[in-house]
Amino acid sequence: MAISTKNLYKKYGSRFVLENLSLNVEKGSIYGFLGQNGAGKTTTIKLLSGLSTPAQGQIFVDGMDLSSESGKIKQILGLVPQDSGFYDERTALSHMVYYGRLKGLSKKESLEQSRVLLDQVGLGNEMFKRVGYFSHGMKTRLGIAQALLNDPKILILDEPTNGLDPVGIRQIRQILRECNNEGITIFLSSHNLLEIQEICTHVGILNKGKLIAESTIEKIRHLESNGVITIGVYNLSSEMISLIENLKFVVKTELKAEHILEIFVNSRTDVKPEINRLIVESGGQVFKLIENSLSLEDAFFDATRIKL
Amino acid sequence: MNFSEIQIIGEDETFKGLKSKYVWLFGGIFVFLCFLAMHYYSTYISFLFPISKGIPYSLISYIVVLSIGPFITLITSFDIVSSEIETGSVRYIISKVHRSSFILGKFFFLFLVFISVSTGIALISLIYQYSEGNAFQLKNIVLFWIFSSLYLGCFISIFLFISTLSVNNKISFTMSMIFLGILVFFFLQGQDNYLKYLTPFFYGVKNMEFMKDFPAGAGYLTVFESLFSMFLYMLVFLSMSLLAIKRRDL
Repeated sequence: MAISTKNLYKKYGSRFVLENLSLNVEKGSIYGFLGQNGAGKTTTIKLLSGLSTPAQGQIFVDGMDLSSESGKIKQILGLVPQDSGFYDERTALSHMVYYGRLKGLSKKESLEQSRVLLDQVGLGNEMFKRVGYFSHGMKTRLGIAQALLNDPKILILDEPTNGLDPVGIRQIRQILRECNNEGITIFLSSHNLLEIQEICTHVGILNKGKLIAESTIEKIRHLESNGVITIGVYNLSSEMISLIENLKFVVKTELKAEHILEIFVNSRTDVKPEINRLIVESGGQVFKLIENSLSLEDAFFDATRIKL
Repeated sequence: MNFSEIQIIGEDETFKGLKSKYVWLFGGIFVFLCFLAMHYYSTYISFLFPISKGIPYSLISYIVVLSIGPFITLITSFDIVSSEIETGSVRYIISKVHRSSFILGKFFFLFLVFISVSTGIALISLIYQYSEGNAFQLKNIVLFWIFSSLYLGCFISIFLFISTLSVNNKISFTMSMIFLGILVFFFLQGQDNYLKYLTPFFYGVKNMEFMKDFPAGAGYLTVFESLFSMFLYMLVFLSMSLLAIKRRDL
């Protein structure tokens, strides 16, 4: 595993913000860490990067215990925090050289790598510009560039696409894909479900400090229900809805319009014929019966709502 | 603790400090005040010292350091860590280096700045002495340099500790001013009060006696005792800074 945590707890005062968090990030994966505001995503990232210490539990990065080998871990880790904390009066290159030296590179090596990385993230022409004049997107790209100094094995990003326009998001996505293609494991937190769906191979869903789901993108989509059946019935009644809800493969139903019902199902077989038969036997007149697969957004809301 | 990390952080702070107009301004003010005190000694403040052994230029400069030094140190040190915490730049640094290296790098930069200022003042005293045709007081100048560096080092470690505890510059500045006021209050409590031992002022003033009249023979031990006390004082606050940053969520 690239990153694994065991029974992690974090307290602020008397309040637990993380409880029994045990997550696993496979090497070479892009792990999306999803959660609502205040779920504990940033706290988790701070713990993984050594900016914070847990109340209880263990953190392993590339097989090393963070509590005893933080120095070695910091050399293989690249962090992109949520808020850009660059010095406005310094240039991009000056930042990179400084951070490169902190990561153990000589001044010459740091300068060479900095130029290459700044080119890679599209800041090659801005390297002598003061960061105070950078846009939000440029600062994010600089953040990624500094995290890539000295070839880290793992990249941790806290909401990297926050506040970016679609062009900026696409650029970041492209950079992250390139990094992953080079073998870097990526751990990123995000609110943007579509973004996670586009780029991540694995997802963990955090709700109120607890990890409620963790799997591949595909499996997460089928977490609680693996499909949605939309049925249109001219004389839809509450008795018919109750009959449908009692079927064992039905997770829940949602009335979308007077005659339109959405049925969330969890079944490996085609259940449309059984639903159709049930409605017809109840005297219903079916005019529509289609099946859609669940999006990550639906799965996320399912997961967090069900666990509340 | 990693010495190369400390060196890199210290170097970077020095690089930033050299580009900062405030460092030059306050360092310049400090040196200028010492120069003024030496220059106008015979006109305005000669009543403070007997001139039997020659004009004590290094002692005059030392008094300026004793009185103005803490404030200059406060102004240059209060935001050394709190500004990094406030802007979030500390996360980029601490994610790469040991926390102790961060604090020690900052401390050594500040210490270096004030050693340089003390050196500047010592050189001016030396030149002044020479140009006024006075007896060469190298011993006093060396003593001045050591005592003032350690004295200012005590305040650097205090304000570094306060800056480490603070979440932003405003709080750091306020707390530093309050703490300085408390130290002054403790010092002014009188001879029998033990609180004065908690202040760098006590050790600074005690050192004045050695500059007026350096002890002979076994008296050397009292000088070392004084130096050791100031060094220990610095070490205590520096250790507290290291402990504070170790436990801090960033």
